[in-house]
Amino acid sequence: MTALTPPEALGRRPLKALVQFVVLYGALPIIIALMYLGFGLIEPAFHSGENAINILKQSSYLAILAAGQLFALLTRGFDLSVGQLISLVSVAGGLVMLDVLEGSPGAVALAVFAGIAVGLGAGLATGVVNGVCVAVFRINPFVVTLGMLGICMGFATTLSDGFPVFNLPEGLTNTLSRADVIGIPVPVIAALLVLGTAYVILNHSVLGRSMYVIGSNPRAAHTAGLRSRLHLASAYVICSVFVAVGALLLTARTGSGEPNLGGGLMLQSIAAAVIGGVSLRGGEGKVIHAVYGALFVTVLSVGMNLIRVDGTIQQIILGIVVVAAVYLDQLRTRFR
Amino acid sequence: MSETHRDDRAAGAGQDELLLAMAGITKRFPGVVALDDVDFDVRRGEVHVLFGENGAGKSTLINIVAGTYPQDDGTMTFDGRRITHLTPHQSRLAGISPVFQEFSLAPDLTVEENLFLGREQARWGVLRKGAMRTRAREVLHDLGFDLRPGARVGQLMRAQQQMTEIAKALLQDLKLFILDEPTASLTERETNRLFALIERLKGEGVGIIYVSHRINEIRRVGDRVTVLRDGKKIGTVQASNVEETKLVEMMTGRRIDALFPDIAAMAGDAMLDVRNLSTVDGRLSDVSFEVRAGEIVGVAGLVGCGKSELARAVFGLDKFSVGELDVLGERVAHPTPTGMLKRGVCYFPSDRVAEGLALSRPVRENASVAALDLADFTRWRFIRRRQERTAIKRIVEELRVRPPQIERSVDHLSGGNRQKVMLARGLTRDIRVFLFDEPTVGIDVGAKTEVYQFLGELTKRGAAVLLISSELPEVVNLAHRVYVMHEGRIVNHLEGNEITEEAVLASFFGTGADAPSAGAAAG
Ligand SMILES: Nc1ncnc2c1ncn2[C@@H]1O[C@H](COP(=O)(O)OP(=O)(O)OP(=O)(O)O)[C@@H](O)[C@H]1O
Ligand SMILES: [Mg+2]
Repeated sequence: MTALTPPEALGRRPLKALVQFVVLYGALPIIIALMYLGFGLIEPAFHSGENAINILKQSSYLAILAAGQLFALLTRGFDLSVGQLISLVSVAGGLVMLDVLEGSPGAVALAVFAGIAVGLGAGLATGVVNGVCVAVFRINPFVVTLGMLGICMGFATTLSDGFPVFNLPEGLTNTLSRADVIGIPVPVIAALLVLGTAYVILNHSVLGRSMYVIGSNPRAAHTAGLRSRLHLASAYVICSVFVAVGALLLTARTGSGEPNLGGGLMLQSIAAAVIGGVSLRGGEGKVIHAVYGALFVTVLSVGMNLIRVDGTIQQIILGIVVVAAVYLDQLRTRFR
Repeated sequence: MSETHRDDRAAGAGQDELLLAMAGITKRFPGVVALDDVDFDVRRGEVHVLFGENGAGKSTLINIVAGTYPQDDGTMTFDGRRITHLTPHQSRLAGISPVFQEFSLAPDLTVEENLFLGREQARWGVLRKGAMRTRAREVLHDLGFDLRPGARVGQLMRAQQQMTEIAKALLQDLKLFILDEPTASLTERETNRLFALIERLKGEGVGIIYVSHRINEIRRVGDRVTVLRDGKKIGTVQASNVEETKLVEMMTGRRIDALFPDIAAMAGDAMLDVRNLSTVDGRLSDVSFEVRAGEIVGVAGLVGCGKSELARAVFGLDKFSVGELDVLGERVAHPTPTGMLKRGVCYFPSDRVAEGLALSRPVRENASVAALDLADFTRWRFIRRRQERTAIKRIVEELRVRPPQIERSVDHLSGGNRQKVMLARGLTRDIRVFLFDEPTVGIDVGAKTEVYQFLGELTKRGAAVLLISSELPEVVNLAHRVYVMHEGRIVNHLEGNEITEEAVLASFFGTGADAPSAGAAAG
């Protein structure tokens, strides 16, 4: 086991530097940059400052959802209820705001606050139920979250009668979507806060450490005395709360409570996390992976929109990319 | 057969004498050279032993022969043919059959299903499934292993899984049989069966590569021994006339005089007191024993006698139906791993891959995992990463984990070093009662003495040690008292001078001459 020379000479040759960059950060940042440049060559409007901000905002929503999904994936599960939970939070939050405004017109701040509280509460409740079913009753996460998907969809449709909840206060959209702080759009700030929280939990808390161990080997976690049931359940709670935050931001963007808001977002959130590099086998994945994945998916879809690729074809491409990403992940572990 | 005669044959060994010839094999992993220009060959009908410290490169060499991964350099000739780009599948087809150090069984399938897993389509048509089934039963019976073909592998003891692995490897056409530490958790009886099998295979002209850290085994079954150290070949010697100390010296580069340290008994207060314990699954019935501060208590018995379950029940991994458990004088009604650790009891499972380690996580996280409720490592449920790093670095150096990099993921370590990472757990917090199940599985001779000395240190500090082991010399030489188990019961209790290999073996089959009642044994 003679030690090899450490990689000191970064940048001696461009190719070597590239290889080392890939080893350190993965190939994804480079691919994203190339995609960004490539779409710009086809459609110059892609490179406008306006579009850059648009991509940043769009990927913020997705990064929040992918960060939630990351927690479920880390513990060897996944959360299929994400999309319908978004719809439920959107509808429930919207209805509460209208109710409050009806009672006391003009109390916009109170209405928005109540809507947010109810939305987060719905997320929390969903997460607790998911978590308890998976961790305590040991039901397969696929089944649990699939059931929850149906339940959330049912509630969202019943509450709204299937119609969007219109006339939400302008204040909601103004503060949570259009506003900015020193030039940074509010959704981007929200995403940074959520991602920061995720980072601190995963890298600095006992809970996060435990989740990695549970994902890597649940029996070892139990034998080592970790409170694995509690920690496993927490993964689903954190996931759903993050998703609720994302849902409220998305509601603010559309300006109405939408029973179909979450439609494609379950696939997108899993896609972003997996493409970003989170392992489906559990125990491996970082917050930065959620960011990469969100950027990738957003650049891809905004780009395809700009060069007018058909919506259905976009779905097909995303599906293929996800499967390819999982395959690459397997190759990576096989050649370790 | 004289040595010179043999060597003559080696010199003039034609293509048919030599089954496998490897020359100049080099294999690098990120950061380490696992094999450095190694020559190795196996003749037909010969047992060629690979010997060397943990991380010397033994398993790596085997993996190259088995086609798990390619060598970076060097050539390989098998059965007279030059072999390049070997895949695991081709290697099996060629008649190379490995039993790996870490198991590769599917835990949710039965023994029988595991035996012909992946072979159904490859070598046998669907129609021959019935024949395969008969064959599987035949092989199990042939081996004389006490295994139920319908048992689910996930519920078997480590030793039984080992037998399954061996049986699986025997189901195919054999030219080269590879055994990587096959006896690490087997007891005398199974080991003897295995050796009988090896003799038979030798007679049929099968070549065998055998890896073991047990020197007496090497001399018993080996024809030649090749010693590796740090990925380099140190030399090849005849097994029959090599001195034990010479082997150890070749392996470590230094002399080791006494394998077993003398550990003074200083039995103090009872730290662990178990009375009339039976488990729900019935694998333990009416067991009573105690472990006192400052003593090592051995538990011996055949595979499946319940010795592993003893520790598992105490640690809260197996539910008990009746019985009383006192830890440090306090009654524990419902033991759980979390609670027992808080009370200062730590369990080290025999199966490090299935239950001990999070393989994809770094050494640091695996070492500190049982101490995440302590102020040393955490504050307000947040990890003090600097303290963690310093403490784990120190422990890893103390246990001589190689390479001593705490950020390396555990699946990149050799088997013995993985074991050390698991043992590191016991040094991260103040443990008063140590429950070891096969603590030296896969550990090299040098490291074994270190572990034994470590046990001595523990008892000197006043810890109580329960040592469950299928390696009889270990129990006999280290333990101050020994309980022998048979079919879930304690059938004998030996103390002081009574502890001899013969005495322990005599009660293995439940025929302990004057098996004392359980109550008396504890007293
Ligand atoms: N997949 C891997 N990736 C990186 N390094 C590895 C990998 N497998 C083995 N190594 C390294 O290669 C060296 C040789 O390991 P190997 O498993 O061959 O040792 P060994 O002789 O079988 O030891 P033991 O007696 O502990 O089983 C070790 O330093 C180990 O850390
Ligand atoms: Mg090995």
